[in-house]
Amino acid sequence: MSLDKLKQIITDVMKEVDVVIGYKQGFDPLHATPCFITKPEQVDQVIWNPLCVQNLASYLTSLKKKVGVIVKGCDSRTIVQFMQEGLIDRSKVVVIGIPCTGVVSVRKVLEKVKHEPIEEVKFSDDGMVIVKTPSGETKMALSEVAPDKCETCQYPTPVLYDHLAGEPITSTKDPQSVFKDIEEFDKKSLEEKKAYWEKEFDRCIRCYACRNACPMCVCQDSCIAESREPHWVSQKSNLTEKMMFHMIHALHLAGRCVECGECERACPMGIPVNKLKRKINSDMKVLFGYEPGVKPEDKPPMFTFSVEEKNIEEHKL
Amino acid sequence: MASNKNPYIPELVTITNIIEETPNIKSFQVVFNDPERMKTFKFEPGQVGQLSVFGVGESTFVINSPPTRMEYLQFSVMKAGEVTGALHELFPGDQMGLRAPLGNWFPYDMMKGKKILFIGGGIGLAPLRTLILYMLDNRGDYKDITIIYGARTPPDLCYKEDLKEWEARSDVNLILTVDTEYPGWDKRTGFVPTVLNEVAPSPDDTIAITCGPPIMIKFVLQNLAKLNFKDEDIITTLEARMKCGIGICGRCNLGSQYICKDGPVFSLAQLRDFPGVV
Amino acid sequence: MADTGFIPKEKWGAFIEGLAAKAQVWVPCLDGDVVIFKPYSKDQTLCFERPANSPPKGVIFPQSDTLFAFNFSKDPENPQKVMVELEEKLDFPKTIIFGSRPCDAKGFLIYDRPYMQTDTPDPYYKGRREQTAIVTMSCQSTYAGCFCTAVGGGPADKEGSDVLITELDNGYFIEAITDKGKEILQQAAAESGAGHEAEALKKQEAVRARVKDPFCANGKPEISKDLFESDEFWEEELSKCVSCGACTYLCPTCYCFNITDETTFEKGERIRSWDGCMYNHFTLEASGHNPRPTKFQRFKNRVGHKFLFYPEKYNGVIACCGCGRCIRFCPMSVDISEIVSKLQKQTGSASNGK
Repeated sequence: MSLDKLKQIITDVMKEVDVVIGYKQGFDPLHATPCFITKPEQVDQVIWNPLCVQNLASYLTSLKKKVGVIVKGCDSRTIVQFMQEGLIDRSKVVVIGIPCTGVVSVRKVLEKVKHEPIEEVKFSDDGMVIVKTPSGETKMALSEVAPDKCETCQYPTPVLYDHLAGEPITSTKDPQSVFKDIEEFDKKSLEEKKAYWEKEFDRCIRCYACRNACPMCVCQDSCIAESREPHWVSQKSNLTEKMMFHMIHALHLAGRCVECGECERACPMGIPVNKLKRKINSDMKVLFGYEPGVKPEDKPPMFTFSVEEKNIEEHKL
Repeated sequence: MASNKNPYIPELVTITNIIEETPNIKSFQVVFNDPERMKTFKFEPGQVGQLSVFGVGESTFVINSPPTRMEYLQFSVMKAGEVTGALHELFPGDQMGLRAPLGNWFPYDMMKGKKILFIGGGIGLAPLRTLILYMLDNRGDYKDITIIYGARTPPDLCYKEDLKEWEARSDVNLILTVDTEYPGWDKRTGFVPTVLNEVAPSPDDTIAITCGPPIMIKFVLQNLAKLNFKDEDIITTLEARMKCGIGICGRCNLGSQYICKDGPVFSLAQLRDFPGVV
Repeated sequence: MADTGFIPKEKWGAFIEGLAAKAQVWVPCLDGDVVIFKPYSKDQTLCFERPANSPPKGVIFPQSDTLFAFNFSKDPENPQKVMVELEEKLDFPKTIIFGSRPCDAKGFLIYDRPYMQTDTPDPYYKGRREQTAIVTMSCQSTYAGCFCTAVGGGPADKEGSDVLITELDNGYFIEAITDKGKEILQQAAAESGAGHEAEALKKQEAVRARVKDPFCANGKPEISKDLFESDEFWEEELSKCVSCGACTYLCPTCYCFNITDETTFEKGERIRSWDGCMYNHFTLEASGHNPRPTKFQRFKNRVGHKFLFYPEKYNGVIACCGCGRCIRFCPMSVDISEIVSKLQKQTGSASNGK
């Protein structure tokens, strides 16, 4: 995909929208940051590379304007899910899709370079990431430092777009592998799982970055986590309350989570919060044969009701 | 509040009387459980207190009885949220927590010898009431007292007993208004800012003190300016969500000023420093 | 300076363990791939290589803290009457924060003014603060987003610390700054620090030179009020913000809180818990009115508090210690230093520093 082509598309799209959301270089060489382009001269700031991690579709529900948005394959599922749930007016969104060969996990890169300050980041055509720090250059394969979601990515090309910047890419990843990690985790005993989650959630500081970065967390300002009426979660900082919040978060996303991984990426305490949501998604697939954010005409299973479900045996009364 | 005391611990008070002012406003008269405390408690007109319903939370209200009448402290509560809802469920004899006095007060000393114009709307009369009663108890210190007060409908007017008394006094000019015509209402109709324009009080040697819903305050301030009141002669008292009451917790700030500690009383001249407020 | 010492690398562990025998010692520990302050224990993997993800502010200002407990009971004379009894607990153990960074230590100084230096000091903060000694490690490197020198600090700044430790090639150079620090130095049974000072200073200076200064204003950036009051400015800079609280909760100087009653049947507690100005509910009034309803207004207040309001109230002191956590951990990479440099008065050079 050539950056020039992307910029050309943005320039064209700008004629019909109020703002185009893309990426520009962030505060250091390892970070990209979303940019809201409203003026032609801003188009030159746009970048596209594996640092472009944020799911820009997340902004769509809060914007009243006509928007052009750049999406990767994974991000595009957000738009499809919004459509299924009637959360956006599709006629007000121009989707600029980019076929994606994977992004980086900043956390994994930092681990590789022992958290040294980053002086330069380069990407080679053969899928290598070259990171320069005061102690020298470290070369790593993009696949080594990609977030987990890229390892099993089924949708490198957006599932929906109005413009595609580049040639479509077909996934080479085994569809059966998508929930392999969840199946592995499921083999743990109940005690092991409990111990695992207690250790992880103990770190939670209840900053709600996971919630606010989540495109599907549409309650936002009316979240149960802070509500007094009803008063389901207290403001005490203990494991019970932290877990309660995360369980509510996960369950509210049952059959809605598009697995963009923003919750986990946003967590400043490195809690694998996406695992809970993926566990529920794997169950959804088994129970309802449903995968969120793939076909605009689908109905999320929790939005519908059938007297008899094919894969659920009702308790006999 | 004394510095050796834990500022977060409320003192226990008991409700002695509850007055239903309007369909959604009740006034609570309370006394400290410790009778000695009732004698040592001091406050100034305009200062606020945090009322606690234990298990529900705290909310801020102005002490609307004057420091010249210390048989009880009175707070008026409009039912709006969790704490005010719980307060409305209470009965005489029930206990509450009180942290008071908090904040600053009306600069009544600098008002001495001047004409005073009160402009209130709805429950916004509460903070004005404490000062009005204080002034009436020190009537000789002030010149003409004019009160313009309005509410949506006649039943929504607070402190009906006080209003009757003020209306009967020859040394108080009370002007009442309700938003629209109402069966049995023979006084003015129209919004408070409009009535202010109609009355058109002179700004000479006059201090204007206003409190009411934000939208009313906004237009009252505009109209006072049109009547040539100077910014420093216009005083208002503000409201915000408050928690700590001692200027730390961060939510009630206007720039560097905390409404709970540096306020709630501000002159318009002071508020001009905070764009977007007025 | 006379009050210095040196601890060889092999005695480092014993030094910390010795302190832990006499006080509760909070140390940066590795947990997964994040570093957080935890009470010292032998099972923990200590990590001094990089600053903790979250600052040690929770040691003195816990994320949630009981202000008092209340118990309800029925008046035996009059069963309809509910009595309430309040119970406060103000008893704090001797504590050491070990391995904070100079920016973290400076954070507590920002707290001290509103929490202690007033006519209504906060007894919970004050109680813990007075019981706590702060042992700081000077920074051996810069970290993503950090800019301490731009706000008047430095990677080996002593302000706010009781002890400053600088890691040398063979050991640790220890400087006792306060009386509390001298006590710790005595406990350390350290070798003489003489002869190590020059190496420590050289290390400190080398890092200092690498810290970026986006403001170029001698540590005192001044904000232009005109731009600060421009709605367009905030909309342009902040559209990407998702209004979460990571920046405020990870900030060593952010000190806002909430007070709530949390109850179970006949008893309950009034607790104080961290809160943040980036949340919509923070200023939401019961009537539904919200003086800061948009993320733009909320972020403006956040920047305003640190760079305008606090300095206005406290003699020009900026309420930002430049630790960079809000930048480093922002999901959307919002950069407060970039925003402040854009807001700066156009007196000096507003271009990017090193």
